[in-house]
Amino acid sequence: MNIVVLIKQVPDPEALVEIAASGKDLNIEPKFAINLFDEFAIEEALRLKEKHGGTVKVICLGGPKAIEALRTAIAMGADEAALIEDGSFAARDGYDTALVLSGALKKETFDIILCGRQAIDADRGEVPQMVAEFLGLPHVGVIVKLDIADGKATAESALEGVPEVVEVGLPAIFTAQKGLNEPRVPLITGVMKAMKVQIPRFTLEDLGVPKDVQPKTTILRYLPRKKRPAVQFIEGEPAQAAAEIVRVLVDVERVI
Amino acid sequence: MDTIIIFVETKGDEVRKASMELLCEGARLSAGGKFAVEAVCFGALTEALKDKLLTLTPKLVHFTDASLASYSPQGYAHALSGYAREIEAKMIIAGATGIGRDFLPRAAVILDAGMISDVTAANWDNDPLTFIRPQFGGKVFAEVSFSASPVVVTVRPNSFAMEMPEGVQGEYVERSAGLPEGTIRTRLIRRGEAKPGAVDLTEADLIVAGGRGLKAAENFKLIEDLAALIGATVGATRSVVDAKWRDQADQVGKSGKTVSPKLYICAGISGAIHHIMGMDTSKVIVAINRDPNAIIFNYANYGIVGDLFDVLPAMTEEIRKRKEKG
Repeated sequence: MNIVVLIKQVPDPEALVEIAASGKDLNIEPKFAINLFDEFAIEEALRLKEKHGGTVKVICLGGPKAIEALRTAIAMGADEAALIEDGSFAARDGYDTALVLSGALKKETFDIILCGRQAIDADRGEVPQMVAEFLGLPHVGVIVKLDIADGKATAESALEGVPEVVEVGLPAIFTAQKGLNEPRVPLITGVMKAMKVQIPRFTLEDLGVPKDVQPKTTILRYLPRKKRPAVQFIEGEPAQAAAEIVRVLVDVERVI
Repeated sequence: MDTIIIFVETKGDEVRKASMELLCEGARLSAGGKFAVEAVCFGALTEALKDKLLTLTPKLVHFTDASLASYSPQGYAHALSGYAREIEAKMIIAGATGIGRDFLPRAAVILDAGMISDVTAANWDNDPLTFIRPQFGGKVFAEVSFSASPVVVTVRPNSFAMEMPEGVQGEYVERSAGLPEGTIRTRLIRRGEAKPGAVDLTEADLIVAGGRGLKAAENFKLIEDLAALIGATVGATRSVVDAKWRDQADQVGKSGKTVSPKLYICAGISGAIHHIMGMDTSKVIVAINRDPNAIIFNYANYGIVGDLFDVLPAMTEEIRKRKEKG
């Protein structure tokens, strides 16, 4: 079974994100990690390989620094990795990103594509489904369980509050939700291997996909999060404080 | 005039709240005369629900195909994009619900359209028309415009005010999408049971959430009691979900759900950035924590420094007393 995992390198969740003076760019503290949902996707791919045999290839679209994310995936146990190097990846919208990735995937043979359900930087959650549509493949989103048998997959999707069990023929795309598995910590032997491995880099020309960024949506400017007024502490003994906060919520804020 | 399609989700006899908010916004836009608005829904539709929808939208287009009776990403994407193409819609707008966020990216590709996901505000009067959406878990917001038409937009629940339109008597149209055999390649085998009466966190108006400070799974009863009394949904932090005190479905935060209620009460939650990212767009936040320096207070409107084991039952009691008084 050949499995491809699409991953994204994102700023660490703790990284400082500030709006540049122009309002049109972000200054992001340079601390990076594999997108957290993509770790579930890598782990699931490795488990499927351990059970059914085959190979796991991890592909990332990003800048030169994203090679680190791919090394981590190799250290976890992926067989192969490839970087689609594109300095302007951050300017691409979901559609444009999916167009490039599906171009790369047309050169691969696979039974399963796994992705995280959403990247925690742009928070769009669009790309896996768009890749599926570009490739004419079915997808099952936000999965918490995946079983493969007889060329078919049975996946449990947690899209809404109620879990749904969905059957789909392969090849197909799945997006990983927290709860799917517990991603492994790379072993030292894996880390050693990952340090030595040569990870191929491809340009957009190599893949025959358009180099120009022609996003269909454009970020005009960034706005700061709405500042909440400073917290008002409600003083007093528990019973007093409770009475006062309930009064505020009922009579002042009118939310209950 | 530009036409906006509102994708409507229904549940039994109810219009899903996220859809209701869009219908209210759509009715307002339609009355303003700048846009024509059509609501589109799939699957079973009771008479009562149909009548209700027709008071909310100038036009309801109901696709009755058996293939759309249950959700599938390919079926929904092809049916909706097919109709959008037919009427040359300028925009498809839907709730940023699990389903909405799952299939609309496919519809955008079919239509060769741009997509703006999970928006929290729209600048309808701007030229160009723009939408605001959070990024980095709400650390910053982006103002986004689109060059391609149509554009596909999903809106975070609780972003638009629910002001019911008056005097609307919509036109009802029944349609068939007539999807070619083999369009849908996923098959729903079974669906779990919904918790009766529970509003999903993402759409809840009121949420009471607990964290490690509750000390044990059984102590969530304090959270549940308060939530039940005010009709709130229970939320939880990552650490208590990882400790198996609560289901994954209850988790608020970066790796859980993003919520935007009118009121978010949190007890025993320190305020890890992972959690803040999931609830920072709540309107009013009340934090209860023993530690006066807890980070959560930086993100709250109201704070009570105290032991939640005293404060929560006192709040529950106070609300009960008020309710009895009427």
